[in-house]
Amino acid sequence: MARETLERPRFRHVGRPVDRIDATAKVTGQTVYGDDLRLPRLLHVKLVHAPVAHARIRRIDASKALAVPGVEAVLTAADLPPHRTNPDARAQVLLASDEVLFYGQPVAAVLARDPYTAAYARDLVEVDYEELPAVVDPLEAMREDAPLARTAAIREADRSEEQGHITIEAQQEQAQSRPSNVSSTITFRRGDVEAGFAEADAVVEGTWRSAMVHQSYIEPHVIIADYDASGELSIWSSTQAPFHVRHEVARTLGLPEARVRVTATEVGGGFGGKIYLYEPLVAALAMAVRRPVKLTMSRREDMLAATPAPQAVVQLKAGMKADGTLVALQARVIYDAGAFPGAPVLPGCLLIGGSYKCPNLDIQGFEVLTNKVSVGALRAPGAPHVAFALESAMDMLAQRLELDPLEVRLKNAVEKGDPLPSGQPYPAIGLKECLEAIARTDIWRERHRIRQHPHRGVGLAVGGWLGGLQPASATVGLNADGTINVTVGAADITGTNTSFAQIAAEELNLPLEMVSVVTGDTRTAPYAGMTAGSKTTYTVGRAVKLAAEDARQQILAIASQRLEVPAEELEMEDGVVRARGQPEKQVTFRELGRLTTGFGARYAPIVGRGAITARRQAPGFTAQVAEVEVDPDTGQVTVLRYAVAQDVGFAINPKSVEGQMQGGAAQGLGIALFEEMVYDDKGRLLNPDLLDYRLPTTRDVPPIEAIIVEVPSEEGPYGARIVGEPSIVPGPAAVANAVADAVGARVFEAPLTPERVLRALGKLRD
Amino acid sequence: MPKRVITLTVNGETHEVAVEPWWTLLYTVREELGLTGSKEGCGTGDCGACSMLLDGRLVTSCIVLAVEADGCQVTTIEGLAQGGQLHPVQQAFVEKGAVQCGYCIPGMVMAAYDLLRRQPDPTLEEVRLALAGNLCRCTGYTKIYEAVLAAAERMRLEGARG
Repeated sequence: MARETLERPRFRHVGRPVDRIDATAKVTGQTVYGDDLRLPRLLHVKLVHAPVAHARIRRIDASKALAVPGVEAVLTAADLPPHRTNPDARAQVLLASDEVLFYGQPVAAVLARDPYTAAYARDLVEVDYEELPAVVDPLEAMREDAPLARTAAIREADRSEEQGHITIEAQQEQAQSRPSNVSSTITFRRGDVEAGFAEADAVVEGTWRSAMVHQSYIEPHVIIADYDASGELSIWSSTQAPFHVRHEVARTLGLPEARVRVTATEVGGGFGGKIYLYEPLVAALAMAVRRPVKLTMSRREDMLAATPAPQAVVQLKAGMKADGTLVALQARVIYDAGAFPGAPVLPGCLLIGGSYKCPNLDIQGFEVLTNKVSVGALRAPGAPHVAFALESAMDMLAQRLELDPLEVRLKNAVEKGDPLPSGQPYPAIGLKECLEAIARTDIWRERHRIRQHPHRGVGLAVGGWLGGLQPASATVGLNADGTINVTVGAADITGTNTSFAQIAAEELNLPLEMVSVVTGDTRTAPYAGMTAGSKTTYTVGRAVKLAAEDARQQILAIASQRLEVPAEELEMEDGVVRARGQPEKQVTFRELGRLTTGFGARYAPIVGRGAITARRQAPGFTAQVAEVEVDPDTGQVTVLRYAVAQDVGFAINPKSVEGQMQGGAAQGLGIALFEEMVYDDKGRLLNPDLLDYRLPTTRDVPPIEAIIVEVPSEEGPYGARIVGEPSIVPGPAAVANAVADAVGARVFEAPLTPERVLRALGKLRD
Repeated sequence: MPKRVITLTVNGETHEVAVEPWWTLLYTVREELGLTGSKEGCGTGDCGACSMLLDGRLVTSCIVLAVEADGCQVTTIEGLAQGGQLHPVQQAFVEKGAVQCGYCIPGMVMAAYDLLRRQPDPTLEEVRLALAGNLCRCTGYTKIYEAVLAAAERMRLEGARG
C-alpha cells in the first residue's frame, strides 16, 4: 500500500493506522445488531407485498390469517393511527391504500408472536387487485403514449435523502405541465455546444445503459418500535440517519421530536440504502397495538421493497481537438426513479459535465417514473452511471486521436477554481494527483506488455463525488478518573468513531486508550447529520476537534489556577499538565477529574463543546486501473489486477481509508460485471435473492492496490476530505475500457455480462 | 404438530431444546440459546453470514433444520475465543483492518478457521476459493485475504513453538 503524502506536521495519532475500536466485539460475535435485540411482549411483523406492479386494491380479507394461532393483528392502511400522508413520498405511504405502484409494495402488515407464524399467516391474507397497465422501461415511460405509472400527478417530491448525499444549490424543475411520467428535469448549458463540435477533430457518441442494482448490505433492514403508556416513542433501527428518522417519523405521526427517541443500532452495511424507509410504518404499528413491534426483512423482502439504485440511460456526444483538448459535451441523462421521485439526476448532471474542463456543455437530465420499486442512494448515487458514459467516451476519443488515455485525462482534468456545470467553482481537489499516482502503478506501466497477450488488456477511468453538507456537534468530557468521553450523534459505519478517538487523543495529547467514543441516541447525543454523503469525518470530525480544543482550554484554565502558572506556560502530555521547565509543578487529569466531579468539587465539570456549520464541500476524486482477461469463447471477463488511487485530503486512519477505497472499488466491479435487478415486462422482479442476483465474491475480486493521495481540503479536520463514496464510481468504465483494450470490442451496457461481451464481439446475434 | 426435543452440544455445552420441525439451526441457536453472533443475511445459504461447524463440517446454518442437528456438536463464533483470548484468525482480522460493518464477519471468521484447520499453509488462491461462499459487501475482501494469510503464518509459528 502506498501513500502520496505532502509535507505536513507530524502528529501523534491522526494519520497513523490504528485498529477499529469496535473490531474485537465484531470478530467475537458480541456486537449487538438490530435483529439481536430482545424486548418483552415483542410482536414480529411480516408485510404483505403486492404481487402486481400497478393495480387498484379492491378488497383485503384477513380473516384466514387472523385465525392462525399466534397472530395478534393484521393491519391495513385503514387501520393505522391518524398520520400525515404524502402520496409523492415513499416513506409517507405507510401501506398502499388504493393504488399499488410497484411489485412488492406493502399493502398490509401481519403481527404475530414469532416471525415464522407471521410469515405463514401473511400468505393467507387475500387481496383482490384490479390490475392497471404497468410501465417498466424508462425510455418507454417517456413516450407520449405511455401508460402513466401513477394516476395522480406529483405535487410534493421528497428530495431530502438526495440532499444528504450531495448538497448543492441548483434548480430542479418539476415537469408537470401535462400528465407525464417525467417527474423532473434539469438543464445545464455553457458556451455553444454546436460551435464546440464544429471545432472538434474527433466526435464520438453513444448510449450507455446501467442496470438497477441493490446496495446488498449483508444485514437486511431491521426496525423495532415501542410506544409506551406515557407517550414516548422509541425506535431502534439499522439506520444511517437517526436524527433524520426522528424528524420524519415525528412529522409523519404528529409527535413532538422531543418525545421520539431513535437509536441507530449497529449498521450491518448501508451504502446509502438505510437512510429512512419503514420507520414511520413500524412506529404506527406499535402505536396501533400498544406493544413493541419488530420488522426484520428477509433478503427477498429487502430486494423487493427497499430502495435500490436506479437504472439509467446516458446518451453522450463528446468532441475533442487533435491536441487532446475537450471542446464539447452534449448529454441526455435519464434516471428511472421507480414509483416515487428521488432519482439522483442532479449529481449525475453535475458530474458528467463537471469532471473535465469543457467550454461548451449542453446537459439535460430527466427523472422518470415507472412501476418499479422506488430508488434510493447507493454510494455516490448516480455517479457510476455517468462515469460509465463519460470515461468510455474519453477512451474512444483518445483512441480516435491516437493519444494516451491517461495524458488526455490529465490535460482536461478539473482543478481548483474550475466551474461545475452549475457555475460553482471547485475548491482544492486532487484529480490530477490521482491520475499521476495511477501512472506509476505496475498495471499502468506494464500495459504495453500486457496487451501483447491476445485476450488481456488494461483500462483506466476516473470518478468523483461532491459530498453532502450538514451541521454537526460533539462533546468531550473529562471523567473522575481522568479518562475522556467523546459523545457524537452520527452512526459509525466506516470507523468514524475510531477516527474521532484519534482526533480527541491528538488534541489532548493522550494515549488512545484513555479516550472512549460513544454514539448516543437522539435524546442524548449532540446533533449530527446523516452518515451519508461521505461527510461524517469531514463534519463531525471538525466538531470533535473543536470540542477537544474547548476541553483542553477548560483543563488548562483550572490547572493554571491550581499551579499558579499562566495557561500559556503549561503543557499537556499523557494526562499530566505541567509548567514548562518546572516539572515539579504538575497536576494530573485524574486530580482534575476529581476536582470537577467529586462531592463539594471546587470547579464545574469539564465539558468541551464543538458545533459547526458546514457550507463548503471537499470533493473527492479517484483514478482506477484494471487489468482484465476476456474469454473469447464464453465472453467472461476476469479482473486480474486492480488499483485505486484516491484523494482523501488527509487520511486520519489510513487503515480505514484503504478499506473504504477497496470496498468501494469492489462494489464498482460488481456493477461492472455482475449486478442487475431483472424485471419482466409486467414489472415483476425475477431475481430477488443472492443466488440469482450476483454479488462479487472472493473469486471475482483480486487483491486491490490502494494508493492514498493527500491534497488537503480547506476546512476538513487536518485537511481530511470526503472518503467513502468516490471509490465506487469508475469501476464499470475502467472494466469496459479494459475489455475494449483486450479484445477491441466496446460494451455499452453494464453489467458486462458474458452475453453482452459476446454480442459486442459479434459472436452472438438476436 | 408438537414440538420435538433435540439435543445440541454448542461450543461444548449440551442443551435440550424443544423445536418446531421447521425451525432452522440458525434460528434455534439465536432465539432459543441466545447465541446471536451468527447472522442471517439471506436465508438461502448464499451469503455465508450464518456459517457454523456442524460435527466439524462448515455449514450455512440458515438452511439446516434444527432437527437435522439433533445429537450433533456445533461450534459457533462464540466458541472460538478461548479464555478471553482471541483466536489467531480473530486477532488477524482486527489487526489487518478486515472488519468494517462486521455483519459478515462471524461467518467469514468461521470459514477462515475451517480452511486453516484443513490447510495450514494456504496460497492466496486457496484462500479466495475457500471464502467464495462468504459474501462481504464492505471490504472488497483485500484485507480479509491479508488477515487469513497472516493468521495462517501466526498459527504455523505457534504450532512450531508449541
